[in-house]
Amino acid sequence: MTAATAPAPRPAARQQPVPWTGLAWVTWRQHRAGLTGTAVVLGGLSLYLLVTGLLVRGSADSVSSQTPKVISALVLLLPVLIGSFTGAPLLARELETGTFRYAWTQGCGRRRWAIAKLALLAGALTVTAGAFSAIFSWYIQPFIADGQLPALKPLVFGLHGVAFAAWTLAAFSIAAFAGTLIRRTVPALAASLAAVAGLELATTLLLRQHYLTPLTTHGGVPGMPPSLLSGGSWVLSSWTTGPGGRLVSQDIINQAEGRFRYSPNPAAFSAWLTQHHFTQWWTYQPQSRFWPFQLIEGGWLLALSITMIAVTVWLVRHAQ
Amino acid sequence: MTIIDCARLGKRYGRSWALRDCSLAIPGGQFVALVGPNGAGKTTLLQIAVGLITPTEGTVTVLGCEAAGSPGALDRIAFVAQDAPLYQNLPVGDMLRVAAHMNQRWDPQLARTRLAELAIPQRQKVASLSGGQQAQLALTIALARRPELLVLDEPLAMLDPLARHDFMAAVLAAVAEDGLSVIMSSHVLAELERAADYLILVSKGRIQVAGEVDDLLSHHRLLTGPTAQTDKQAERMSVVHARRGGSQSHLLVRAPAADPGPAGWESRPVGLEELVLAYLREPGVAALPGPTADGPSRATIGPSKGVRA
Amino acid sequence: MVIDKEADSHSRPSSPIQFQLDPGSGLPTYVQLIRQVEHALRLGYLKPGDQLPTVKETVAALAINPNTVLKAYRDLETRGLAVGRPGQGTFVDGTLGKVALPQLAALRRTLLTWLGTAAEAGLDDDAMDALFSSALRDFSRSRGGSAGAPARQAPGDRRGSRGDNAEGVA
Repeated sequence: MTAATAPAPRPAARQQPVPWTGLAWVTWRQHRAGLTGTAVVLGGLSLYLLVTGLLVRGSADSVSSQTPKVISALVLLLPVLIGSFTGAPLLARELETGTFRYAWTQGCGRRRWAIAKLALLAGALTVTAGAFSAIFSWYIQPFIADGQLPALKPLVFGLHGVAFAAWTLAAFSIAAFAGTLIRRTVPALAASLAAVAGLELATTLLLRQHYLTPLTTHGGVPGMPPSLLSGGSWVLSSWTTGPGGRLVSQDIINQAEGRFRYSPNPAAFSAWLTQHHFTQWWTYQPQSRFWPFQLIEGGWLLALSITMIAVTVWLVRHAQ
Repeated sequence: MTIIDCARLGKRYGRSWALRDCSLAIPGGQFVALVGPNGAGKTTLLQIAVGLITPTEGTVTVLGCEAAGSPGALDRIAFVAQDAPLYQNLPVGDMLRVAAHMNQRWDPQLARTRLAELAIPQRQKVASLSGGQQAQLALTIALARRPELLVLDEPLAMLDPLARHDFMAAVLAAVAEDGLSVIMSSHVLAELERAADYLILVSKGRIQVAGEVDDLLSHHRLLTGPTAQTDKQAERMSVVHARRGGSQSHLLVRAPAADPGPAGWESRPVGLEELVLAYLREPGVAALPGPTADGPSRATIGPSKGVRA
Repeated sequence: MVIDKEADSHSRPSSPIQFQLDPGSGLPTYVQLIRQVEHALRLGYLKPGDQLPTVKETVAALAINPNTVLKAYRDLETRGLAVGRPGQGTFVDGTLGKVALPQLAALRRTLLTWLGTAAEAGLDDDAMDALFSSALRDFSRSRGGSAGAPARQAPGDRRGSRGDNAEGVA
């Protein structure tokens, strides 16, 4: 080595922390396989939806509701899968393989490193998921307008608006937390899949209907809501009251329903009800509440995600 | 500058103590060998020093006045953990770029030059490098950070003899060139003997020996003489370890350098490995620096904690 | 792996000699380095003005502490065999042979006579060696200061930071 290649004098002590841009590159380089995989999957699906959507719009026939139901079911799984498979190995792999002993002794420090990883991937996933759900909303529009898929119904609600992106973010943050806590990729993956799926089920079946107090109305006959509710309202429950407001037993209603099911006169059942002074009540959430509900759900999922990410960073700071 | 300063340091896992009551004042600018049997607590001590583990009791400061694990300490200390952790799926070039982006201070030319000397191609995946090459890569990354202190946890364990030699040569060349301080642990002393300025022996979670190698060696001798006189000698001197035969015995003693030894007894200097083995056989005895009020100084061998008769 | 100070390749070391280590010899490392320099001087591999191997080269080749090399070079300087030039390295500055060759030859004859007497008295090689070493030790001690060579029994004082107890082979 000549004098030119002799080591330069050691640079002065650092003045400021390691820049975020550098850590962003590191995160990208380490996880680009996962990110590009996600992009490919969603991109491919988007392409399919675009093509199919154009065909559906172009065709003059009435739209068949079969295909979107299958797609929807598939797409409903995506937030859980994408979020968990991206989030669970994020920190668990480093803890498993021992590379954290390298990463946490570099100049950037473990807190900044963890925040960079979590924030970048959370952001990238949310944006990608949001873009996808916009395309999906466009695709599903004709079916909703047709009245076949009420926007608030469980199968559909989580697929567009902000819910899709919010659930992806939530799944990611829960999986990242699980990975940091459990320190092993595969158990963390299993745990987060179970946890997020459980949360989604609980939300869909129990929580969502109570975001705003359900509206009540009466009219129509059992099994057929009044026209007020048509066009995408989410019917929650229904009961019949007799004179004086007493609840009529379901057996009587079922019997009557059976009698009138094949009646050629559609108004016969209605007339029977009026004759007995029966009133049919309905609780429902109107379609107009779609966006408020989306924002409420998106809101608490966002809060949950931020909390999970904060707790994960705290765990990293105090890990041994 | 004291490179590592700890007082009554202890780390407990559940019921058992990995380290207990450890007090050290390790001077900088030296090659410090940290030796001891497997499971003695060397890794725990090193990981506390670099901020990966927080101690249960006691205090530790590094590089003079930085808290272990603080941003200032992280910046100036480079650590290579056991098994040289690296991102296996990255090519070598990208691994270097990752390291460059994770640190404020980085010397890309040093990294490139070293890798060229080692004939490690930048395109090759880390996973496909040999054990020796991965250890050298981890060392390259550590050195390219231009640290003030290099901490190595059993870096030679998985290496073949040639790789071990090359690794030690690389570390020592950096010491020669840069004035780097190095702390390296190993459970094989022979490899460190030629390299070490300062020795720390950890055994069963406690520090048994700590001092400059020159001082340690000049203050210990092996006396050979009649067994009948052994007890009498043991009363006069600090005996570290005694081996008695029927009529002849060997005493490894701690004595000032100029001490001619008892009359009629043969006396010879001891080697480092011999000395360490003797202490390992006698857990109750220690050779630690005496208390110094004025900070780091040359290690003076303090009174022994136990005299074997 | 030799790290060279030369611009090109590993094929142009800075010195005519290269150091080797004998781990089994029992001699402290720095003593071995000193002996190799003296040996090379005697045999003509080194001449005054030649550069001794750089610290960095030696450390890279032998994986020893740099202070060991510094100590050996300082010792050679003390005895006038070498001189350090800042920024350039350490260079040979003198010659051995403070003792004239005829005198060496005479001493050798005396020694051989003594060995003959010892053999007649029944001592084998090891006994002669032990006797000689012990007498040399006592002689050096009485001469005042360090225990001399053969440093097989010298204290392990091998780092440059300790200036006392300068060891050496005359």
